[in-house]
Amino acid sequence: MSREEEIVKELCDRFPFLQDRIYVQKEKRIFTKELSKEEFEQVIAFVHDEMGFYRSHHVIGTDEGDNLGFLYIVSGSDNILLILREIAPKSNPVINSICKLYPSIVLHERELVDLFGAVVEGLPEGPSYPLPDNWPKGNYPMRKEWNPKYLNKDTMTYEPPQEKEAENE
Amino acid sequence: MSETDKNKVVIPIGPQHPSLDEPATFTITLEGEKVVNAVIGVGYNHRGLEKACESRTYIQDLYIIERVCGICSHAHSTAFCMAIEELTGVKVPMRAEYIRVIVAELERLHSHLLWLGTACHEIGYDTMFMYTWRDREKILDLMASYGGNRINYGVNTFGGVRREFDETTSSDIIKTIDELDEHLKRYMEIALTETTLVSRLKGVGMLSHEDALNFGAVGPVAKAAGIGYDIRVAEPYGAYKEIPVKLITDDRADVYGRTVVRILEMQESVKIIRYAIKNMPGGDIAVKVPRRIPAGEILTRVEAPRGENIHFVRSNGTDMPDRVRVKAPTEANWHGVQHMLKSGRLADVPITIAAIDPCYSCTDRAIVVNSGDNINVMDWKQLRQYSIDWYKKEGIDITALKL
Amino acid sequence: MVLEMLLKVFIFPGFLFMSAYSFLVEYLDRKIYARMQNRVGPPWYQPMADFFKLMGKSEIIPEDANPLMFRLLPLIALASVATAFTYIPIYGLKATSSFSGDIVIVLYFLTMVPLTSFLAGWYSRNAYATIGATRVLTQMFAYEVPLFMSILAPALIADTWSITEMAAYYAAHPMHALINIPALVVGIISIQCKLERAPFDTPEAETEIVSGVLVEYGGKLLAMFKLAVHCELVLVISFYSAIFLPFFTGIAWVDFILYFVKTLLTLFILVLMRATMARLEINSTVRFCWKYLSPVAFAQLIINIIAGGVL
Repeated sequence: MSREEEIVKELCDRFPFLQDRIYVQKEKRIFTKELSKEEFEQVIAFVHDEMGFYRSHHVIGTDEGDNLGFLYIVSGSDNILLILREIAPKSNPVINSICKLYPSIVLHERELVDLFGAVVEGLPEGPSYPLPDNWPKGNYPMRKEWNPKYLNKDTMTYEPPQEKEAENE
Repeated sequence: MSETDKNKVVIPIGPQHPSLDEPATFTITLEGEKVVNAVIGVGYNHRGLEKACESRTYIQDLYIIERVCGICSHAHSTAFCMAIEELTGVKVPMRAEYIRVIVAELERLHSHLLWLGTACHEIGYDTMFMYTWRDREKILDLMASYGGNRINYGVNTFGGVRREFDETTSSDIIKTIDELDEHLKRYMEIALTETTLVSRLKGVGMLSHEDALNFGAVGPVAKAAGIGYDIRVAEPYGAYKEIPVKLITDDRADVYGRTVVRILEMQESVKIIRYAIKNMPGGDIAVKVPRRIPAGEILTRVEAPRGENIHFVRSNGTDMPDRVRVKAPTEANWHGVQHMLKSGRLADVPITIAAIDPCYSCTDRAIVVNSGDNINVMDWKQLRQYSIDWYKKEGIDITALKL
Repeated sequence: MVLEMLLKVFIFPGFLFMSAYSFLVEYLDRKIYARMQNRVGPPWYQPMADFFKLMGKSEIIPEDANPLMFRLLPLIALASVATAFTYIPIYGLKATSSFSGDIVIVLYFLTMVPLTSFLAGWYSRNAYATIGATRVLTQMFAYEVPLFMSILAPALIADTWSITEMAAYYAAHPMHALINIPALVVGIISIQCKLERAPFDTPEAETEIVSGVLVEYGGKLLAMFKLAVHCELVLVISFYSAIFLPFFTGIAWVDFILYFVKTLLTLFILVLMRATMARLEINSTVRFCWKYLSPVAFAQLIINIIAGGVL
């Protein structure tokens, strides 16, 4: 049994809900399917505290239609990347910050706030990143429905065509 | 302002400051010469590349991705190409993989030389700065003659590389790196013995082994703290599966350690290039990759000069990606810097910031000379000749200089 | 008599000569430095071009600054340097003016330059300039003691407080200059420190505090300050070579050529130091000056007191 399969087995034994929702994509890559906020938090705390996944590489925000996806990449000394996928509805995109476990994730989580409009609870105080201060409120450029075409760079306002305005509000 | 705050001076370093090559703000609170707090503000350079990638085809994206970073452009495009090749299941010819490695190592050389120069400039050692940049110039010349451009060489394409690697190129490279090897020995000697240099670098910007792990440091910053984390060794890709790479680490955990790691890495790069040129197999340099990429998601990582590059590509089966995510090494090191700056002195701030080698964009050197109605675009040789002639007119003959 | 004196003070070997020579020295400084770094370096007229270009620019005085002090300080710096220069023998053995104790006067005027640049930084009301100003003052306390001791030591053997008489004494007894070799070494390091050149360029460290005290200066005022700084360089190397390299022939024009040889040799060593070392931190500078330079200079002082009694 390869190291990757061992990790999958250990996680499945600990968290029965991961059964069939975690898979080895290829060598050194383990992906999970979409996890809810509660499920994700249990798993990440466990892999950090007890399985030696001490390094967090990144969190990737994705637009999944009605939901926002967050791919957390963590690894340990054996360099196997474990990719945990958290999901939150766009209508209420609240997630908890994991910067207590992984201090280096702060900058990436700030990015989720600015670019995807996620509400990350527990982030330390600090400047926003990476959008400018005069960026129009409520515009999250990495969401699929946001189109750079409609951003007026002179006035810094987002002016979508009329029929779409209702959606944005 | 409270009573205790009166002795404190807040110094803004950036967004524009002579010691910063890219816009970022470091709000440094000083008590005398001592730094008591540092807050980093970044994001001035956010160009929205990832959004731009989503509305363009893969081959167009390749050129955007190459321009993520001015210095490690090859590392970024390699990671992106690897992702696409894995998604389509194409096997890249070994010759192309070797060429990618040679270019990647040349890139590492010029990036580290650039770093060594700027680091020495930050501590007021301009002579070293000039010498290292002279050497870097030769590597850029090699890149220009092979790839056609000094910085964004455009060597990579999906399924291989774009340019054949001929005899003259390899002999030029061997000649240059032999020369460079001699100079590197000298730089190592200077770094180890020059008292003022050592006194400025030793014990500065400490990031201990535990802190480096905690803050997720990568690249030379992590290696100097004794963390042997190098993607070329941890997860060999491309021709690194065949080429032996020695892992360089150091346990000094300060800026001095990072300097030593980078110089040793350059010497290692020289060895890798020699090995790769000697053992390069024959054959094709590229295979064809379909325009439509099968659906799937892939995560690739590559060792750029500054550390680990992560690329995430999600394809939905069309000719445009659904999501592209690029994680550059500097992003991982900012947290460490904030920690390193605290409890240091003001004099150490620029070198501490420089020590992680923050990434910045270089301007391209293609020039359009507009004279009346005639617009002619100059190629590399003409441009070089033009600059030599221009200086001659000013009374300076560069060609007479012995370097 | 008055006219001759005026000519001497303002034209040769006074202010005009000093300014002209400062351009040459600045050019050589930059050119040698560039060649040591494998660069081309500036053409010979560059320092003058820089100066006249700056003179043509408008003055901008920061709102918070004190305009009178802001304008006055460069002139004070330049005037002190020019005054001190009249006590140094340039053409022949005799300086334009000399009296017993002028060595102290020159040292006093030399202190004026860092003081004016400290005040310039302080009155600029700029964070970088303020930090630079405190560094100027801190550095001054570091090098003053070894500099003064190393310069007074040769005077003890010559048993005079006048530069002209000291030069005459060493011209008569050239071998006695050999006793001063430790002071010669301490002297050249402390003048490098005094001139705020690498490795002691902390007060104007461009990568940390932009350009320190002069950050708010521009136009004519900056040109004046730059001129004062380069004249200070001329003054210091002339002063240094008059004290430590006392080789005279007695023929005025030969001595004049020797003056150039000596000062340029000193300059070359200063440039060599600047090119081969990294910038020290301010606390390392202070430690270095107090730990190494001062004891050596002090030992020299004791040796010279004894030697002065014996010789």
